Amino acid sequence: MSATNSPPTSATLPNATAIRRTLPFGNGNGNNTPLSAMVAESGSDVKLPNDDSDASDNDDPDDLNTRTKKKYTKDRKLGEGAYAVVNLGHRRATATEPAVPVAIKKIKVNTEFRDGITMDAIREVKYLRELHHPNIIALLDVFSSKNQNLCLVLEFLDSDLEMIIRDTSQTLSMGDIKSWMLMSLRGLWWCHKSFVIHRDIKPNNLLLAANGVLKLADFGLARSFADPKRHMTHQVITRWYRPPELFYGAKFYSSSVDIFSLGLVFCELMLRVPFLAGNTDLHQLELICQWLGTPTEENWPGVTTLPGYHEASGTPVKERGTDFFMNTFLAAGESGVELLMKMLRLDPRKRCSAREALDSKWFSQEPYPTQPANLPKKGGGKGIEKVGSDLKRKAGELFNTPDERENPVITRKKKHSAVVAPVPEEIENAPNEEMGSSDDEEMEYTNDEETENEDNEEVEPKNVDKPQAGSKTNPPPPPTRNTREL
Amino acid sequence: MAANFWTSTQRAHWQLTREKIADMRKGLDEEDTNKGLGLAFPLPEHKQLQLYFHHCLQRLARRLQLRQQPLATAETYLKRFYLKVSIRDTNPYLMLSTCVYLACKMEECPQHIRSVVNEARALFQEFIPQDIAKLAECEFHLISELNSYLIVHHPYRTLMEVQVPLKLSTDEIMAAWSFLNDSYITDLILLYPPHTIAFTAIFLAVFVRPAIHTQANLNASGSTALGMGTAAGAGGSIAQSSVGQNAAVSAASGINPQNHSSARLSQMSEWFAESGVEMEAIIECTQEMISLYDAWETWTDKVCRESVARLIRGRQLS
Repeated sequence: MSATNSPPTSATLPNATAIRRTLPFGNGNGNNTPLSAMVAESGSDVKLPNDDSDASDNDDPDDLNTRTKKKYTKDRKLGEGAYAVVNLGHRRATATEPAVPVAIKKIKVNTEFRDGITMDAIREVKYLRELHHPNIIALLDVFSSKNQNLCLVLEFLDSDLEMIIRDTSQTLSMGDIKSWMLMSLRGLWWCHKSFVIHRDIKPNNLLLAANGVLKLADFGLARSFADPKRHMTHQVITRWYRPPELFYGAKFYSSSVDIFSLGLVFCELMLRVPFLAGNTDLHQLELICQWLGTPTEENWPGVTTLPGYHEASGTPVKERGTDFFMNTFLAAGESGVELLMKMLRLDPRKRCSAREALDSKWFSQEPYPTQPANLPKKGGGKGIEKVGSDLKRKAGELFNTPDERENPVITRKKKHSAVVAPVPEEIENAPNEEMGSSDDEEMEYTNDEETENEDNEEVEPKNVDKPQAGSKTNPPPPPTRNTREL
Repeated sequence: MAANFWTSTQRAHWQLTREKIADMRKGLDEEDTNKGLGLAFPLPEHKQLQLYFHHCLQRLARRLQLRQQPLATAETYLKRFYLKVSIRDTNPYLMLSTCVYLACKMEECPQHIRSVVNEARALFQEFIPQDIAKLAECEFHLISELNSYLIVHHPYRTLMEVQVPLKLSTDEIMAAWSFLNDSYITDLILLYPPHTIAFTAIFLAVFVRPAIHTQANLNASGSTALGMGTAAGAGGSIAQSSVGQNAAVSAASGINPQNHSSARLSQMSEWFAESGVEMEAIIECTQEMISLYDAWETWTDKVCRESVARLIRGRQLS
């Protein structure tokens, strides 16, 4: 169990022996995590693209398409979005196999714009066709419908991690969280190993199969690593999960952006609310500075040269150390906190890789990761609709409907799991007060979004302490976290 | 590049054998003949057409200021597509514009559909319909025919990777790069893994090209497809000289340095011999390239242009 503490650092593994060693993340071997059975189990469940259809390349293409299409039936519509319609369907039972439910995502080609297939759809097809892993959603087939729509047949997954997080009636044990983290990291490891950056890791893109297995989905923003010196856009990743380098407009970044996002998902699993939920990009950056530390040349050499860098307002906060994380995320335990800190480092070069994260002691310590089949579930009708609406949402968007945007479904109730510290109400206000305290700073804020801040002025004194604490040599006591309620 | 070549759909589904390719083409031809299209619309020999399409793609790519990678992807798409669909059933100009359009999206340098159509119209005039919906529709067919296997692995990256360990000179890299560009006229990308093609190009650049240099005093960069006239001229000489070289390679996977700067060449041949690169495959690739340059010598775009125009007009495909 402790044997994996000296991981090979490179993401691509040099030889067969090394690959054998990594199998714990693929199909359980050697590294006695009690999850060994899980992947094999899910593996048999995953229907990879059907070989019989793919192998017969020389068949008449029309026939091939018809044959593929005939394998599936459409049952009912789950949702419709800007560029896709999602239907629940199933693969017809054959002599040897029973019917399997699938999600059929119909990409609208024939819309009035008629300017080609969107990049989202292209990317989704492009990467899912190549990436096969038990923790990545499987693209079972692609076929074209009669009125020239491209239909992606995806594995049907009935819920997502966001639903679990928001369902505060459920208690999540650390074993459960560990299991989801483990599966997410495995999926991410495979993406990165294949030189693909997901660029939109967030709870509602982490889908859950009926048997509890977690799968990365929505590759609409994914891209392969750019060639050296070629720019990539920094306008990716849903704001709440976006790492600081992208706010600074970095054009060259790497798989570490996904690690940061997943680190925040980790926090969210414990807190049950988004850890850093900024109203605007600038606000989000403030939150990062406040809770994780202010990027400076010391903790992040070169940060000031990024194109969009601007000095943070207020007193700089030292990059948070173990004390802060231990106080805030006590439930994760020492090794869990160590992992979390490595994932949330400000300097992207200092963040761990997915591979290193998987080697964390945390996964091999008690409590062991829960077997997927025993994980808390949120099944039933609502789950299906929710995933349907998620599937059709455009990548990178936070909310499905304008409605949700108005009233985000973030319940900050006091009902919490027993394991994890709840987020005190102040967390919402804290960032705003911080900004309030540095009032001479001109904020490019859209005012409509911060109506609630004004009511909370009275909490300000508490938070004003914080920057001062930050200037001491010791890591500051976590603001507001001393009021842990259990 | 994304994903791993060894687990890629390119290797699993789009790495074919010569026989298979010949079969597929023959199948399409027979179908055309049965439908009476073969006689009505005779097309030049396949190699000639490939040269022509390559030429067209290149001109379009230059107008759109594309990098080599999307162009290479577009060429690969076109080749794959015409293995499954008969040229006589399509408007080749529209098809190749679609390949460029899709390849740009795929290689993360998207071009607006309007600008692709406009540039294509500037080149191919009335053969490209003004309605962008036509191209969008075509894109859809293309994706479907490719079975939505869209990621293509190219040899350029291998070339860049080995340039340091092999101590290639800038000159040699440029030459190898040009050979790679030319390789997209042939079926190599459908036949061999990208690294084999890359090593073929290096082999040609290091061993064969200097021989031509001394023999014909030709500028090697003339063999880029950019300067077609020169290339055709150079082609012949490459053909002659490399046949001789081939014999040497196949004999010992090591080359008799002859009159070249021998230390470096023997070092290089040692590297080739020890690298475990499949010399057989490289020789086959080399031969493919030679026959390309041979064909290039007699090639003119006039015949192709006319027969394609006749096809499009005759079948009212535009």
